[in-house]
Amino acid sequence: MNRFTRDGSSPRRVRRCIALLAVTAMATLAACGGAGGSGSGSGDEPIKIALIPPSGGVFAIYGRDTIKAWEFAADEVNAAGGVDGRKVEITAVETDGTPAATVRAARRAVTQDGARFIGGIITSPEVAALQPQLPSMNALLLNSSAVDDPLTGEQCNANAFRFVQNTRMAIGGVASSLKDLPAKKWAIMAVDYSAGRTSAKAFTKAVEASGGEVVMTQFAPQPTADFGSFITKLQGSGADGLYVHENGVDAQAFVNQGTQFNLFDSFKSIVSFKVINEPLFETFGQKVDGFNADLGYAHQLDNPENAAFVKAWKDEFGSDPYHVEADNYLTAQALFKAVEDAGSVEPKDVAATMEKLSMDSIVGPIEMRGADHQLQRSSYFAGVKFADGQLGWDDITEIPASQTTPTADPACKL
Amino acid sequence: MSIANLLNGVAFGALLLILSSGLALIYGLRGVINFSHGALYMLGAYVAYQSVGALGFWGALVVAPLVVAVAGVALELGVFRPLEHRSHVEVGLVTFGLAMIIERVIVLIWGEDTLPVEGPGGLAGTVSVFGSGYPAYRLFIIATAAVMAVGLFVWLQRSRTGLHIRATSQDPEMAEILGVNVSRLSLLVMAVGGALAGVAGALAAPYFSVQPSMGQAILIPVLIVVVVGGVGSVGGAMTAALVLGIGQTLGNVWAPSVTVLLPYVLVIGVLLWRPTGIAGKRVV
Repeated sequence: MNRFTRDGSSPRRVRRCIALLAVTAMATLAACGGAGGSGSGSGDEPIKIALIPPSGGVFAIYGRDTIKAWEFAADEVNAAGGVDGRKVEITAVETDGTPAATVRAARRAVTQDGARFIGGIITSPEVAALQPQLPSMNALLLNSSAVDDPLTGEQCNANAFRFVQNTRMAIGGVASSLKDLPAKKWAIMAVDYSAGRTSAKAFTKAVEASGGEVVMTQFAPQPTADFGSFITKLQGSGADGLYVHENGVDAQAFVNQGTQFNLFDSFKSIVSFKVINEPLFETFGQKVDGFNADLGYAHQLDNPENAAFVKAWKDEFGSDPYHVEADNYLTAQALFKAVEDAGSVEPKDVAATMEKLSMDSIVGPIEMRGADHQLQRSSYFAGVKFADGQLGWDDITEIPASQTTPTADPACKL
Repeated sequence: MSIANLLNGVAFGALLLILSSGLALIYGLRGVINFSHGALYMLGAYVAYQSVGALGFWGALVVAPLVVAVAGVALELGVFRPLEHRSHVEVGLVTFGLAMIIERVIVLIWGEDTLPVEGPGGLAGTVSVFGSGYPAYRLFIIATAAVMAVGLFVWLQRSRTGLHIRATSQDPEMAEILGVNVSRLSLLVMAVGGALAGVAGALAAPYFSVQPSMGQAILIPVLIVVVVGGVGSVGGAMTAALVLGIGQTLGNVWAPSVTVLLPYVLVIGVLLWRPTGIAGKRVV
């Protein structure tokens, strides 16, 4: 007996059913449009952005402020009628901050929610895991936080753009000021992951170029609750300068515990990287008085775009924006400009205009470097001063991108 | 190896000692690992943060354990007692869920930010220990743990209640037949266990800072200490706490990138050598 007629149905009816099922499946697939959508993106299609910040851990505070900044930018542009009439829609998907979870969340946001642009990812390992997946997702990654150099070096990707200074740019800002600091023998305390190791290497090079030496380098795993043993080693290092690269909660723990050990009194100069920012001024108080810090952004920057942004932000939230909020607002502005120039939300169209992006922004004139998709923007270096009962930036020095990264990383092949 | 490094290990071990003693007591009596113990420790830290402004550090050090003791009693009445005839796995899973709820509620109340807590003014700065300056506050933690360890030991060994706890931990049914009020004892042990978690949290607040992931961060080391020490053994947990604290801190000096593996190597090694843990089945 023919297997199709086991239950007595006619072969012709069965073939008709199979054909109907096949047509239905194909129609369904066509309606879904595949991963990330296809076609040119009709004129009123919204700009769908998926933000994937961590919900907990060391960077939770940055995740929360990232969402805040994007929603602020979206509300602002939607109130003005959208980007070329297109509404901006933000979806926030919180993860545990691990690369695997971030990639899964991104894929879900693209395939199920129709997001074409991904942002809000905080750490370099997450971005590094996601970047190779982007072409298959047909989505663009807008990196406003992860600073590791290889992300626009050997790991660069045609679908990824970085809007924050990379480590080389930020350390370049620090390096130009090293010769003015009294310390000559440096100890390095950095977080034990890619960005920490990159910044330690870059700082070592900068110290040697300025005629100093690095006498000790150590890395602490993330998270580290007790920095006691690391602090004790620093005290015995013989260094007169300290370079610290720690993030979020770990940075606060290091500063608190270092103060308990009277660690910072034993150095002539202290340079902190990614440690100090405005929301932590009250937490740190006098403990970081006299530190020097990299500064991605300062609300005091003097240009019309920044003045308008700071005023609107302060009216909305009652405080000045800091670098996480400003970097994400800047990234949003860049995306909106690129979409407007492209006349489309199709990722490949937006990528083409993003590569040539040039605009006045809250951090002054910026330009996207097409060779490695790294935004060209200034870095800043400032002293930290406790005066009149509060902490503040002192003596902010601007170092232009032409000085910190004059050329693209040759390892990037786009 | 400098004296400061050794003291760092002892200080961290001391904190683990206080926290793990409570967990070991609870396990010894109830036979269930309380996965919400890290959350109770976190609750202690946040209560300390909230109380420091009005009552000062010393007042917070009294209030935090009292509040967490009440939480421990609530845990006993709301979870352990109604579920005492269920399997230990089921009860353990319930405490795991409770941990997530407690931590989430704490974040909803106090937010995601790291909260600073200053130690007492008299313990700021360093004191000279064999020629090295060492934070006075860490020495205070070591001293507190030593006093607690001695106090707990004396209570368990010399008092009638301690005798009842040891007896019930070894054989609850026989203890009940012999007239021990096991229900009241359980309430007391949960209160003491909770209070110890509260003390540890209050002490940790100026040491580590108060932040949303602190409960999860301490739970695994504490569980390892309890298992390595001998499940249900307070004395074993104390010994294991110091071994782990010193080992991990010194490991950070010599080989920081592999020291993260130390707790897991320790638990595997000890259980292979002595499956009942360092102290075996002893309660103290």
